[in-house]
This record gives sequence, structure tokens and C-alpha cells, in this order.
Amino acid sequence: MSAKANLDVLNRQVAYSGEGISVKSLETEIHQERTVQDSKVDELKGLRERNVEIQGAMADELKKLRRFSDYLNGTAHKGGFLAGLKEVLSYIPGLKGLALSQRSIEELLKAQYHLSARRVKEAAEYVDTLKQSEQDLYKEIDRINVKIVEMAKNERSALGYVLELKGVQEQLKAEEQAAEAGSVEQRDIQANADKVHAKLAEHSTNVLLYGSAEERYARLKDNTRKLAETIRNLANDIQQYTTASSIKLDMASAQIQAIGRAADAAEVMLEMKRSLDVMTESMNVTTQFVSDTQMFFRSNLDTFIKDLETFDETTTGLLEENLKKSREIEDARIKAAIDKAVAQQQQSAPAGA
Amino acid sequence: MSIVALHTQALVLPEAELYLDLLGRALQAARLNNAFPDRRQLQNSVDTLRDGLRHGVYGELYVDARAGLPNLASFTRVRTDHELAAASLARMGARGELEARRDEAEVFARMADRHAYLERLQRLELAPVDQHRVLLRRHDPASGTAAFRIELTKLDASGVYLRLLIELTQVSSLWRRKVVDLEADGETAAASEGFRAMVYRCADLDAETLFVRLHGVEGVQVERVARGVIGPALYSLPVGGGVAVRRTMEAPDDALGRAWHAWSLGAGAAETERPEMMVAFATDCAAGEVREEKSNDPVSPLLAERLGPQEGERYRSLRGRYPFKVFKDRKFVATSGLKAMVQGVCAAAGTRNIVYDLRPA
Repeated sequence: MSAKANLDVLNRQVAYSGEGISVKSLETEIHQERTVQDSKVDELKGLRERNVEIQGAMADELKKLRRFSDYLNGTAHKGGFLAGLKEVLSYIPGLKGLALSQRSIEELLKAQYHLSARRVKEAAEYVDTLKQSEQDLYKEIDRINVKIVEMAKNERSALGYVLELKGVQEQLKAEEQAAEAGSVEQRDIQANADKVHAKLAEHSTNVLLYGSAEERYARLKDNTRKLAETIRNLANDIQQYTTASSIKLDMASAQIQAIGRAADAAEVMLEMKRSLDVMTESMNVTTQFVSDTQMFFRSNLDTFIKDLETFDETTTGLLEENLKKSREIEDARIKAAIDKAVAQQQQSAPAGA
Repeated sequence: MSIVALHTQALVLPEAELYLDLLGRALQAARLNNAFPDRRQLQNSVDTLRDGLRHGVYGELYVDARAGLPNLASFTRVRTDHELAAASLARMGARGELEARRDEAEVFARMADRHAYLERLQRLELAPVDQHRVLLRRHDPASGTAAFRIELTKLDASGVYLRLLIELTQVSSLWRRKVVDLEADGETAAASEGFRAMVYRCADLDAETLFVRLHGVEGVQVERVARGVIGPALYSLPVGGGVAVRRTMEAPDDALGRAWHAWSLGAGAAETERPEMMVAFATDCAAGEVREEKSNDPVSPLLAERLGPQEGERYRSLRGRYPFKVFKDRKFVATSGLKAMVQGVCAAAGTRNIVYDLRPA
């Protein structure tokens, strides 16, 4: 007869670490872990979009600053000087459409420089936000690893217990076969076999649950690690770009001012040139007029002189005629006055004789 | 130390902190009035730059190699930090949490330091890079006359930091475009874009030239043009126990710059192992109220004194048309090692200038 089955195993309390497991509790925990991950993914999406936007804007603005420099270096004069100036000035916010700005180019460039510096700084701050997220995710990975180890240990405990129970179950089966059918012993053995079966069911479920939990946590850890790596790569990309842009802006600050000043000087020269052009135009017109007049006189001088002589002769004739007539009129007046005086004298003379 | 970019030198700790400390104390010692840019704002910018270096927010300080003052990059750094401070602090969260995680990773230590830097910075008013203000002095609607005061504070392309004050009277007319517009409330004024641009472009001209230039504008009668200029700052900072020296590399080619160059190469510099600094503060005024036309600036004599006889005659004839006289002055703040150099420059020019002491900390 074989040794009796050791039923102490039925009374043993299997110590699983953690808070106990069920399908519901496992789903809840995995869901919580996934929520953390999902929020990081959303954050990452937002940061990535913002990064693309910022990088695009920064590239644009640095290109504009570069264009100013090229323009004033004389390497971007396609279409002529004024066309080039109009083009670069149109880059400046608020000046689109203006042919030539009244505003100081140095001041505008410095304002643009300030905007660019601010954008670079905003982008650089995202690097720290990303690095902080990366650290949070590594902490999360550590936590998940603890869970994985716990699940693995619990699965091992459950497996060990299940194997023990299986052994007892087989022993009881053999005892049952050896016992008399319908006897008290057989009933007793069957009752214990039922208890063993119940325990087996319970702890087999635990084996499955802990095994499943271990696998799922392991997958979660992998995803979290990938997310952390993605965030790290994004942070490194942004940091590289913002560092390079920041250095470029720092090095270019004096150049920006020098270019602005030169452009303002060019603007003053343009104004001077414009006023000189107007003056030159006036002078040309005047000179042309003088020259034409001179030509006119020269080619018509003989005629003028002749006309003058004619004028002289005619005028002299007229004057003489005039003079003659005036004298005649005067003589007539004098004669009339004398005649009148004589007549009056004759009238008053006989009264005195 | 070499030039790192066009007219740009870089200073790092510890000499950068030494430089900023000297500069800050020079600004205080100079007793600046309102003819100069606001000292308090400039002081705040200098202090913030020093904070930034101490907290590791910035690794270096950029200085204009000609004027010896912090350059556009440095001014812009602290101004953009100020603008972004509120949003950055909100995003970073509480400093306590960052401090608690300081040893966890380098990013938390850096964020905690930056948090401290921004917390202090956001309460300060910093020096502007460019600032225009138009103030109404008097307004007589009956005659259409208004008197204005225009203030321009500017970090000039030459590296100095200056303030330009213009007092003028404008007579408005239907047929005349105004250079300064008065709002309907009769209290707020703004310069027209063209006039503002002209003032900005001409800010580095001397007061006399600017007076003549502005007086030619139709409808405007200029009463006063005054400039207050901070700079150059000439410094010499021994580093590494005096093995190397950081100094202003591209001082201007004038009497002061030449004296500085001679001092840098000569026995004066060799003897000193202390940090030395000299900062100049110049004023230049063209106004009717100036009693005597004179220059007490050893670096900038009157134009009349620099012209030949023929040009001088034409100049005097031209000046006779304008109702102003010119007065120029300059004061200095200098450490003991540079005081003699400054006094020598003033003596050579025949001027009598105030030289305040700049004592080491």
C-alpha cells in the first residue's frame, strides 16, 4: 500500500507578494500604466508639432537675416539695387507692399533679432520639458520592472503550489481506487480530492494571471522604453538645433547692427541721391534750355539785328512823325492863344484913348 | 583672448563676474543724471547677467570689443528671459519639487537653478535696447503750437549706450505734415514714422549736427539737443593668477584709445595684478540756453577748433543762422591703476574733468 497523501498542502497559505490579483485588478493596473504612457505620447505629439513649427519659423527668420547680409554684401542684386532693397524690406513684418520704408533698417533688424532670439529661447525650453518627461518615463520603467519581478515570483510560487496539488491529487486518485467502493474511506478521499481540485482551480488561475501580467508588463516596459528613447532623440535634435541657432545669433549680433547701420547709411545716400537726381534733372533741363536758347540766338542773330535795325528805323520814323505832329499841334495851340490875347487887347484899347 | 565674432569678445567665470561687478559699481559711482540712460535699469541688466552666469544659465558673457560694454546679444538674452519668465515658471512648477529631484538627473538641477534666476528676474525693469518716448511739454491749441520732448535710448551700433533728448516746438498747419502727432485727448503724443526714423538714424551724430539737421525740418523749431553717452569701458582683468589678461581689444582710435593702448603695452599694465577698469560718461548739448560755447571733453573738441581757416570762416557764417551754442563734457570712473592714464589724457587736451574713484570690492 502506498503512503497516504499529505493533506497539509490544503491548509498552506501561499504568500503572493503585492495586493493580490484578479482579471479586473490586472486590467485596471495595466490601464493605469497605459494612461501614463498615452499622456506622454500626446505630450510628445504636441511637442513634435510645436518643434516642427518652431524649427520652420526659426529657419525662415535666420534665412531672412542671412538675406539682408547677402543683399548688403552685394551678392543678391538680382533685379537691380532698388528691387533687391524692396524685396528684403518686404520680409520685415509690417512693411509688405511698401516700396521703400521710412523706418530705420537698423532698428527693424534689431527688432527682428529680438524676435528670433526669443523664438530660439522658447524652443530651447522645450528641451528641458522633454528631458523631464524622459526622466519621468525612466522612473516609470523602474516601477514596471519591480512589477514584472513580482509577477514572475508570484507565478513561480503559484506553479510550485499547483504542482504540489497535482501530486496530491494523483495520490488521492490512487487511494480512491484502492478503497472500497461506497465506504467511508472512499467518501473521505473523494471529499479531499474535491478540496484539492478547488485549490487547483484557484491557483491555476493565479498561474495564468501572473504569467499574463508578467508578459503584459514586459510589453508595457518595452513601449515605455521606446517612448523614452523617442523623447530623448527629439530633445537631442531640438537641443542641437537651438544650440546652433543660439550661437549663430550671439555671433551675429554685432553684424546685425553693422548691417543695419550700413543700410541706414545707404538709405540716407538714396535720399541724397534722389534729391541730387532731382537737382541734376533740373540742372540738365536748365542747361539744355540755356543751350537751346543760345543756339536759337546764334542761328537767328542776323535776323534779330536786322529786326532791331528795322525796329530802330521804324521807331525813329514813328517818333519823328509823332514829334512833328506834336509840334504842329503845339504851334496851333500857341497861335490860338496869341490870337485870343491880341483880340482882347484890341477890345479894351479905344476906351483909354 | 581673441575676438570670437565681429567686434565681440567673450568673458567666462570668474573674470566675467569680476567685470560685471566693476561695471555695476562704476555705474553707481558715476552719479548719472537723466541726461544719461536710466542707471537703475542698466544696473538691473548688469546684475541679471551676473545672476545668469552664477546660476549656470549662461556659460559666457559677450562684450563689445570697441566700447567694452555688454553687447546686443547680452542685452537681448536678459530681455527675452524677462519676457518669457512668467510662462516658463508656470511650466516648471514649484522650485521645491525641482530641488527635491536635483540629484536625480542633471536636468532637474538645471531647471531648479533657472527657476531661481527667473524668479528674481521677473520683478526687475531692464535696460531697453531701443526705446522711443515722446512727451508733451506745452500745448497751445489757439496758436496750434505744441512743445515736445523726444527721448531716444539706444544701444548704438558702435557699442556705446546712449540717450538722446530733443526739445522742440511744432507749429501745426493744414498745409504742413507734422513730425509729432498729438492725439485727440491733447495729452498723448507720437512721432511720425519718418521723423522717428531720422532721429534714430542720426542718433550717433553729435548734438550740433543733429540740431542743424532737425532745424531744417519744416514747421519745427528746435530748442535743445542733448546726448548722454555711457562708454567706452576699458578694462583689464588678470586671470589665472595674472598669467593672462582679459582686456578691451578694439578701443576707439582717439586720444583715450591711444592712451589705453600705450598703457596696455607699457609698464602701467605690467605692474598691476589687480583688475582695472575705466568707464567714460560723455555729455554733448546744443541749445540756446548754453551760455558759453566750449568743449570740456578731451576726446571730442568743438568742430570750430578742428577746421582750417577757410572752412572755419564758412562754418562760422553758417552757425550764425542758428540760435544755439554747444557745450561738451566728459567724466570718468576709474580704478587707481588707470586714473593716471585718464588724467594724462585730460591734461594733454587742456580739459578739467571729474574722475571718480572705482574701488575694488
